[in-house]
Amino acid sequence: YGKCSACKARPTLKQPASPCSPRVLLQRRTFSLDSLSSGPGRPQPQQARTDRASPSSAPTHRNLSAVAVSVQDQSRPLGRYDFLDLGEVEENTQRAQLCRTIRRFIIDPALAKLVTHHLGPDLEDSKAAIFECNPGPGVLTRTLLNAGAQRVVTLEGDKSFLPDLQALECLLDGQLEVVHCDFFKLDPMGRGSMRPPAMYSDKLFTDLGISEANWTDEVPVKVVGMFPQRIERSQLWKLLYVLFDRLSIYRYGRVELNLFISEKEYLKLMAKPGDMLNYRAFGALWQMACHIELLHKEPWASFVTSSKNKLAIPKSRLPNDNLCLVRMTPRKDLFSSSLTPSNAATLVMMVKQCLAKRKARLVDRLNMWSPDSGPKLLKEMGMQEDVLTGHVYPMEYKQLFELVDKSQEFTQSWLYEEVLENTQKEGWI
Amino acid sequence: PCLVRTVYINSLNHLLTDPPWTSQRRHFSALIPKKEHGKKRVWEQSQLLDVLEARIQQLQSDIVLDVQHAKVQFVKAPKSGRGASSGKSHKKISGERTEVGKTISKGGGQTGKGGGKDASASKSRWMEKLIQEKKTKTKKLNLKLGIEDKPVKTHTMVEKLERKLNQWAMSASPVLVQDNSEARMHEGVQLGVHCYLEACVFCGDIDRAQRLLLTHHRMISRRNLLNIGLYNVMMRVWAKKGSLNQIGRMFILVEEAGLKPNLTSYCAALECMGRTPNCSPKVINRVLRQMKEDGLCVEELFRLCVFRQDERDMVLRAIQTVEPDFQPSINTVLHTCSSPLVKDFYTERADAKYPKLAFSLEELRERFSRQLSMEQASTITIHSVEAMKPVTPHMAKMRDLLAKQRIVWHKALVGALRESNMILASITPKAVRLSLYPYLCLMDQKDYVDIMIQSLSNLPPSGESLHMLAKELGNRVHNKFCIRMKSHNQMVDKLSHIYNEYAELLAKDSKEFDVLPRERWWKLEAEHSSGPSLLGDKTQWPHTVVVELGTYLVDLMVKHMKVNSDILNPAYERKLIPVLYHMYTFRSNKQVGFIKPHPILTQMQQDAMETTLTFDSYVMPMLCPPVPWTSAKFGAYLLTPTMLMRTVVGANQHEILLEKCQDADLHAVLDSLNQLGNVAWRINQPLLDIIISIFNDKGSEKLDVPPPNSEAPKIPRYNQQDSATYSLAEKAHLKREMVKNKKKCSEMHSLRMDALYKVSIANHMRDEVFWFPHNMDFRGRTYPCPPYFNHLGSDVTRAILVFAEGKPLGPGGLKWLKIHLVNLTGLKKRSSLAGRLEYANTIMDDILDSADNPLNGKKWWQNADEPWQALACCMEIANAVRSLDPTHFISHFPVHQDGSCNGLQHYAALGRDVIGATSVNLIPSEVPQDVYSGVAQQVEEFRARDSEKGLKIAQVLEGFISRKVVKQTVMTVVYGVTRYGGRLQIEKRLKEVDDFPKEYVWDASHYLVQQVFSSLKEMFTGTREIQDWLTESARLIAKSGNTVEWVTPLGLPIIQPYHRTRTQMLKGTIQDLSLQITHDSKQKPDTVKQKNAFPPNFIHSLDSTHMMLTALYCYSAGLTFVSVHDCFWTHALTVDTMNKVCREQFVALHSQPILQELSNFLLQKYCSGLS
Repeated sequence: YGKCSACKARPTLKQPASPCSPRVLLQRRTFSLDSLSSGPGRPQPQQARTDRASPSSAPTHRNLSAVAVSVQDQSRPLGRYDFLDLGEVEENTQRAQLCRTIRRFIIDPALAKLVTHHLGPDLEDSKAAIFECNPGPGVLTRTLLNAGAQRVVTLEGDKSFLPDLQALECLLDGQLEVVHCDFFKLDPMGRGSMRPPAMYSDKLFTDLGISEANWTDEVPVKVVGMFPQRIERSQLWKLLYVLFDRLSIYRYGRVELNLFISEKEYLKLMAKPGDMLNYRAFGALWQMACHIELLHKEPWASFVTSSKNKLAIPKSRLPNDNLCLVRMTPRKDLFSSSLTPSNAATLVMMVKQCLAKRKARLVDRLNMWSPDSGPKLLKEMGMQEDVLTGHVYPMEYKQLFELVDKSQEFTQSWLYEEVLENTQKEGWI
Repeated sequence: PCLVRTVYINSLNHLLTDPPWTSQRRHFSALIPKKEHGKKRVWEQSQLLDVLEARIQQLQSDIVLDVQHAKVQFVKAPKSGRGASSGKSHKKISGERTEVGKTISKGGGQTGKGGGKDASASKSRWMEKLIQEKKTKTKKLNLKLGIEDKPVKTHTMVEKLERKLNQWAMSASPVLVQDNSEARMHEGVQLGVHCYLEACVFCGDIDRAQRLLLTHHRMISRRNLLNIGLYNVMMRVWAKKGSLNQIGRMFILVEEAGLKPNLTSYCAALECMGRTPNCSPKVINRVLRQMKEDGLCVEELFRLCVFRQDERDMVLRAIQTVEPDFQPSINTVLHTCSSPLVKDFYTERADAKYPKLAFSLEELRERFSRQLSMEQASTITIHSVEAMKPVTPHMAKMRDLLAKQRIVWHKALVGALRESNMILASITPKAVRLSLYPYLCLMDQKDYVDIMIQSLSNLPPSGESLHMLAKELGNRVHNKFCIRMKSHNQMVDKLSHIYNEYAELLAKDSKEFDVLPRERWWKLEAEHSSGPSLLGDKTQWPHTVVVELGTYLVDLMVKHMKVNSDILNPAYERKLIPVLYHMYTFRSNKQVGFIKPHPILTQMQQDAMETTLTFDSYVMPMLCPPVPWTSAKFGAYLLTPTMLMRTVVGANQHEILLEKCQDADLHAVLDSLNQLGNVAWRINQPLLDIIISIFNDKGSEKLDVPPPNSEAPKIPRYNQQDSATYSLAEKAHLKREMVKNKKKCSEMHSLRMDALYKVSIANHMRDEVFWFPHNMDFRGRTYPCPPYFNHLGSDVTRAILVFAEGKPLGPGGLKWLKIHLVNLTGLKKRSSLAGRLEYANTIMDDILDSADNPLNGKKWWQNADEPWQALACCMEIANAVRSLDPTHFISHFPVHQDGSCNGLQHYAALGRDVIGATSVNLIPSEVPQDVYSGVAQQVEEFRARDSEKGLKIAQVLEGFISRKVVKQTVMTVVYGVTRYGGRLQIEKRLKEVDDFPKEYVWDASHYLVQQVFSSLKEMFTGTREIQDWLTESARLIAKSGNTVEWVTPLGLPIIQPYHRTRTQMLKGTIQDLSLQITHDSKQKPDTVKQKNAFPPNFIHSLDSTHMMLTALYCYSAGLTFVSVHDCFWTHALTVDTMNKVCREQFVALHSQPILQELSNFLLQKYCSGLS
């Protein structure tokens, strides 16, 4: 561990920085704000969804806060820092390419700015910590800090990037914490060695001083980064399981994901009922659990890959030209009196069983679980008797489950037994 | 137990010191020039290594590889005189230059030959790609080294190599590089249509068959896929009907299709004429003339065609109409196997004392008829050992309920099947789509339903994947069909006739024969040539048909088997609910269709504790000696179809290879299988009784008797209501517990059922004498065919089995029994035989106590490595020492002799590795060597060194490195275990060590596996080199698009069936199934598997050869001999003789130039197009 002495002295478990100190910095960083608003920048993404916040609001907001702080500023000595230099693109690219694991990186400052922007608009005021996954050379990290993020935690799995990040950590006054950890190796299923970068989420959160929160509380953590390409699918499934069970990172509340995923996976995630090929349990469950928002589409080419292992862009029947920055915010009202983390696994199971074959009749599925109950339930739901499983909306599945769960007839059903055999998440907490 | 010291020592000693290799000289005279002064020279390790190395290089340079290619680039740099290359590359150059130089000059010498072929024409796309890749690689390397202007000299060299590579690529696999899909379609369609036609014909639906053939024939695109065999099927039908017109039409169709009639076609024509009364001789003559024109002769007809029913007589009648004196000649010339290893065995029979069985001819014949009727019934129902338990009223009630339900289900299913058949029959199938209909009409509906109901009782409570269940059902139907087919063809009578005569060879009360079982059978068959052929022309149904048929039946079961929901609990509302469910389980994001029993069914089955078990007849051991293997297609069971070589379903490359073999080449292999199959067994009753008593009580995990489900951990129920009181972590913990317990329960269930089958079969056979027919896997390792109960099984099953034949202990027998006992305990591994014997004598009290009070005494036996066999041995010893004269005590007990790390023994012998050979007891030594301890010691040395250097993990491991930790890895390293697998093994061992700190397990296992590998490398130098050579050869062969093949020293052809996965979709009503097929020989080989599996498979093929040789020579010495791969069993009396044979054969085998011949074979097979 090549941390500087100052870092070593500091306890890992720490209180959130005092309310004043970050503001001090802000003024010094007005350059960055200027550069964001006036710099060359990239053309604003037009293909992104229209319902996202207007880009122009962010700089104004920042300027306002900067002004607000400047009053206080006079009573405090100036900080040691200045606007953080992002480094030469060339140099960052080279460093990324030296990485031994197969990864993509955000190197382009404009792209980093754009991502930061989407995490906004209130980076300075937001209480949510930002977990940046695998920052690599730290372009996005610096951009986030420059934009005034109050608490950035970088989770870097590759040792080779740590020294630089730690140096940066020392330079700052608590806005940045560097942890040797791979977000995608949190709470692994296997029983391998639990050494960094693999880690239990409770250790991570406890060390960071983040405690468990209520589901309905505000978003405690925003995760930003990129799914490792090869395990994209399985990671999404794993997150889905822990979300419904409120295990792992979701013990700490409604963690918001802002992750780049491949376009094809995004399209599957968002597939609508009636799209018999792509509407599957995977998408239905995500849509049920989260508010999903496409923030931005970026061509694959904009990312730098570690050079030795060229990452082939996965082929697909679906369009797959971009990486999509997707925000997945768990729904506040996901859990209710009838759907709780303890029976949610049955819901997951039910949806998986139903959507294994999208052209099956829903009534047949229901009858299988409890004979003759199908027509009754469908009537209660106000659905057609011959509705196909692939035509049922995620929210309807949720309602259906709530009805099923209340019904006495289902207590004898094997559906409840089944849940056990299908779990593969023995290791998750 | 490592007795091999004594087994192999003397011989290897001989091998390493005895200079004049006169005895073996003749075997390889062709390969070693006599004029050399080799006669006087001591055969040293180095010599073989030289040859080997030269071969390796030759092989490598012939198969120009990319490795070399890369090397070439390095050589160039300094030659070009540029200083630009970095220091790093310089280092590489100096290290590799010499070797590269050699290979290049060799490679270069061969370029130019074999040229002149049109490169572009036959070059396939992927080959082009490969070359392209190589080019880019070259380019990149050049760039890296900073070479811009290449000197002319090296430039041409590279080009030469490139060109040679191209040539090689073209010539290596001209067939394979063609479009694979077309060939596959041909084969697939032909097999599919063939089976369909046969099925139609069998169930008498000739119209359907004819219609299908005609529709295929009329569509030109389909017609091109047909072969003559398909037309023949119809010709035979018309021949039976005596319809000359139709036969004539078929001949026209054949001509239209551009095919040539073959023997079977003419055979059908003649048969038809034989059936036609007063058939004009003119017509017959015309047929015979045409046959001659096609280059076929009448003699071949009788020699090669397979006849059913009275076909042969009809053909003969037709021919005799025109040639009244004609009689087919009987071929009685026996060919013998050409391998020098078995020359003595076949030629010097004067001294041979082939063992007889202790039965009269009458007894054997009676046994045969019992076996025959069992196989004809195709299933057998026996009482399970649980029948001994008292029946409670509840059990009786449940049994009654279940029986009633079965009748209901049976009726429902018969009705459903009949109805669905009617629907299927009425659908006029789409032109070329093959329906399942004929496959559903092969038997009565009730026979199908019997199969379905039977599968229900075998269904585990956790369910079964649809694919597995469907396969099982489909195979059962096929099996039953094959047996019916045989009786339909009227071959049973002939079989009985021949078998009854054959039994004379084995019976004790008939004359001595100097022929082997196979030879005798073959002769008898030739003598009784009239009537149907014994050899059924059985065609294995395509796997897709089997699965589709099975899925169809499963679908019926799911839809039509219902039960009242209130059957167990009247409180529930009465509804008719299905007994089986189709649902999905999700395994690592793959969804797998599953069939699950409803909890009600499971409950009923568990409560009823039904005590009958129904098995397919082949599950039981045979009641009479098996039919000897006379060819790759005929042997083992009487009626049940059996493969000589067991393969993955649907893989036919082995079969094709075996068929291509010269008859005589397989003789040695067949004879050894026959020898193993002819060993008679019986049950060790006292031991069986003890096991049953424990089994029916609570089982015992320690003694490997699986406990019943009542002993399983309870699954904690977790209540919705309580959920509020648990914290999240507690809930997670509870969930984990539930999953764990559930898993444990289903594991226990399957273990219990497995044991129940074994013990019940044993119990059923308790008063019988029985036989295990044998076949082999694709490497030649032999296995008994009955799947559950056989001598290859666990300690429990092995302990239950004894030889049916008893032999007196003789002077040394008791000694061997005692030594065997010590071996079974796993103690005294480092003591000499005398030491072990002495130890046994000191613990005689324990031994006798164990024998007398196995469950209530001191229970010494229970701490043995193999407790049950140890107990059996204790009892045998007790009986022997208490008899009047132990030397005359008749013992049925098999005494085992194990190889000590047999794979390493073969490697050490192949590599003439002196240190390695010493450590695996191939060289005499005071005390037995233990390779595992040796490795552990070496690893400990490394550890101590590292520990001193301050390596943390080495320090942590202090005092934890033992023989046990490294054993499994050492053992499996020869069989190709990788570092990854090795680490897992060691991790498992370390976790078992209680006081080893758990947090270091991963690091420690990682560290240890490295040390084990490096110490093995140090001890077995030759082994490493041979392994590397094998691996590299396999890699290149696979890369060139070929599969690795070789021939064992006994002439058994071997091919590795590893190919890239092909996915096949099967449409089904219940769900679509996607089959992953990894053995399709039309696919490109799976390089990684081909490469990794070659060394272990090769060694297995050698150890199986050694076993077979030992079996054969033991047979001619009159011994009883069986094997469990590298562990050989015989009577105590004959242990010494067996050991002698074993040693001699080991030496004889390794005196063969094995690697040389392998190299020659590979060169000839894969590189002959090159030079």
